[in-house]
Amino acid sequence: MPEVKEKLIVTSSPHVGSALTTKKIMLHVIIALCFPLIAGVVLYGFYALFVVLLAVASSVGSEWFYNLIRKKPDTTGDLSAIVTGMILGLNLPPTVPFYVPLIGGIVAIMLVKMLFGGLGKNFANPAATARVFLLLAWGTQMMTFIAPIDYSSGVAAARLFAGFVDETAYVTSATPLAVIKGAAATGSADVNLLDMFLGNIGGTIGETCKIALIASLIYLLIFKIIDWKIPVGYFLSVAFFSLVFYKDGWNFILPNLMSGGVMFAGIFMLTDYTTSPDTRLGTWIFAVGAGLMTLLIRRYGGMNEGASFAVLLMNLLVPLIDKGFKSRPFGYKKPPKKPKGEAV
Amino acid sequence: MKTKTFRYGIHPEERKELSKDKPVVPIEAGEFVRIPLSQHIGAPAEAVVKAGDKVKAGSLVGKAGAIVSANVFSSVSGEVAAIESGETVSGGKCLHVVIKNDFEYSEERLEPLGSPTRENIIGRAREAGIVGMGGAAFPFDVKLSVKNPIQTLLINGSECEPYITADYRLMMDNAEGIVRGVELVAKALNAADTVIGVESNKRDAYEALKKAAGGGIRVELLKTKYPQGGEKQLIYALTRKKVPAGKLPGDIGCIVTNCQTAYALHEAVDFGKPLYERVVTVSGLAVARPGNYFVKTGMTFEELADAAGIRSQYVKAVQGGPMMGISMHSLKPSVTKSSGALLLLTEEEIRGIEPTPCINCARCASVCPMSLMPMKTDALILKDKVVEAKAYHPELCIECGCCAFVCPAKRPLVQSQRLAKKLIKNSGAR
Repeated sequence: MPEVKEKLIVTSSPHVGSALTTKKIMLHVIIALCFPLIAGVVLYGFYALFVVLLAVASSVGSEWFYNLIRKKPDTTGDLSAIVTGMILGLNLPPTVPFYVPLIGGIVAIMLVKMLFGGLGKNFANPAATARVFLLLAWGTQMMTFIAPIDYSSGVAAARLFAGFVDETAYVTSATPLAVIKGAAATGSADVNLLDMFLGNIGGTIGETCKIALIASLIYLLIFKIIDWKIPVGYFLSVAFFSLVFYKDGWNFILPNLMSGGVMFAGIFMLTDYTTSPDTRLGTWIFAVGAGLMTLLIRRYGGMNEGASFAVLLMNLLVPLIDKGFKSRPFGYKKPPKKPKGEAV
Repeated sequence: MKTKTFRYGIHPEERKELSKDKPVVPIEAGEFVRIPLSQHIGAPAEAVVKAGDKVKAGSLVGKAGAIVSANVFSSVSGEVAAIESGETVSGGKCLHVVIKNDFEYSEERLEPLGSPTRENIIGRAREAGIVGMGGAAFPFDVKLSVKNPIQTLLINGSECEPYITADYRLMMDNAEGIVRGVELVAKALNAADTVIGVESNKRDAYEALKKAAGGGIRVELLKTKYPQGGEKQLIYALTRKKVPAGKLPGDIGCIVTNCQTAYALHEAVDFGKPLYERVVTVSGLAVARPGNYFVKTGMTFEELADAAGIRSQYVKAVQGGPMMGISMHSLKPSVTKSSGALLLLTEEEIRGIEPTPCINCARCASVCPMSLMPMKTDALILKDKVVEAKAYHPELCIECGCCAFVCPAKRPLVQSQRLAKKLIKNSGAR
């Protein structure tokens, strides 16, 4: 009999698999993140793009550098650092000084991701942790929000490139979150829902334009990248606790959903695989808990915004949720095979 | 029409169209056939012939060596050339009876059973060396000798593995024979209710069986989903009963068997024909003429590959389906009673084999038909945390491969479940 010329691959079954890889997942997320990025650049000018790019460069550079000094193989090829950088950048106000995204990227990747073992091992969402770090470190810069570019009076190049050259072109703006907070006890928030939907408000680069975020959500759901239970559970929970916590709560459902980072966090941050639960029941609890946390902070906490903190707090609860809500194997009953099995 | 199904599972690319419509054609055996004495679960058969003996197709060459064992028969007529050690499908070694083919194909038959009863059907299953032909190769007489009374006999016609179409062809071409076999199995088990499950992608086979079955046997349409043919999944889909963890289907009054096995029983009882040849699907993108071939046990997979033709470079040779089959080192092993398919897979068909770190996406847990958490077992067992891994019940894993199929990090999750089973068993932790 003729010898087999080429060596055959011998592995354990299965021998076929889905085409989806970690890298492709990351690529899908990057594409989805481009919708709010584009919206952010249109709304706030090119400096916003610069901020996001700095965050990405810093994240990828940190991962590369960490692997270099630890003499480990380079892992930036899985694109996860780009995702972290983009999420972090989109979570920053469009006017932050250049060092804020740079340091944010280093904190996110070095401290939160790589020190804990890299991809899949981090205890909390790197971007959310870094954002909270930056909030504490540069409170003023992180809380300065500007009004979007007013295109109705013609496009001024100076405004498009504001931030690079001329700081005075900014018109600072209060975010609707402050309005919501102030109106909590009176029962009606004086906010423009259409502006909030279009993104015509002050806020971080990626979180304001709801049209872009809904596009991202649809994109990620179509390609089955994220678990639908998380955004659905989170948004429903935010709506529910708006009813509970606010006077005339139905006036606050849409304002709460469409302000601050709720939509962005529900789509991009809570859905982070590593820091979300593994079981179906656990996922529901996680999503609903995040909504409760967000609203508790918004209504009763000292700050206007609670989404990032809620993400972080719930991330820390994930190991507990996973422990408490293991899935029950098919056909498995709690006291296993103690009594003699009777035929049914 | 509403189809029946189980929970979770996956939809792998079917690729059945490669061989679905190809009629079964026989492949002639070459000068030698090499018949493994271990073609089944349990003790190997003991050789009852020696070099120089004349045998016919259907002559006993190996006698069941224990209760859980099966007779082995010559698949050609000729002369025993040697009894020697040879490579098996799983990469081990076992004794093979090498027979020089005289190309006359004179046959030896058992006496057909005139009036089949429970006892003589079971006896015939043992005499004829019938084993489960779905892949597990469990001796059929042992399965039929179940102690518990059986209410429901379930016949697996789902053929949920991608590529394979051997059962489909048999159902299309020999529906009456299968139905007759099913009746015999039902008689042997004294089963009150008999149901054949066929996946909805084989609707024509479903119609054919329904026509052949008349009234006595139910034929049900199953949703096309993998692993619909898994024993516990099939029972749940068709009866809504759950096999308790650590129990066998017999414990809840159910028995599942494959439709080809039922057909083999029909041939053994009504024609006295022992099990020594079967339908094998040869497929994969590397195969020039994918199709369904009627093959004698003891022929090498190389002969099958030659008959079907090689079109392009293949990197994996799999006996059985792509989800649960065994990848072979070479094409030298012999076809056995339970070889449902030979797949020659090209680079682009196979799953990536370089694992990357787990990203905890929980896709594996969300598709697991047993609701296990493969990523947890994987992470723990690779750090030798046997006791912790036990909490995630790897012993209940049916090794269907859904977890590894969907894993974007391409981790060998089935392998780690197997490792966990073994380590837990060795540690005595259960």
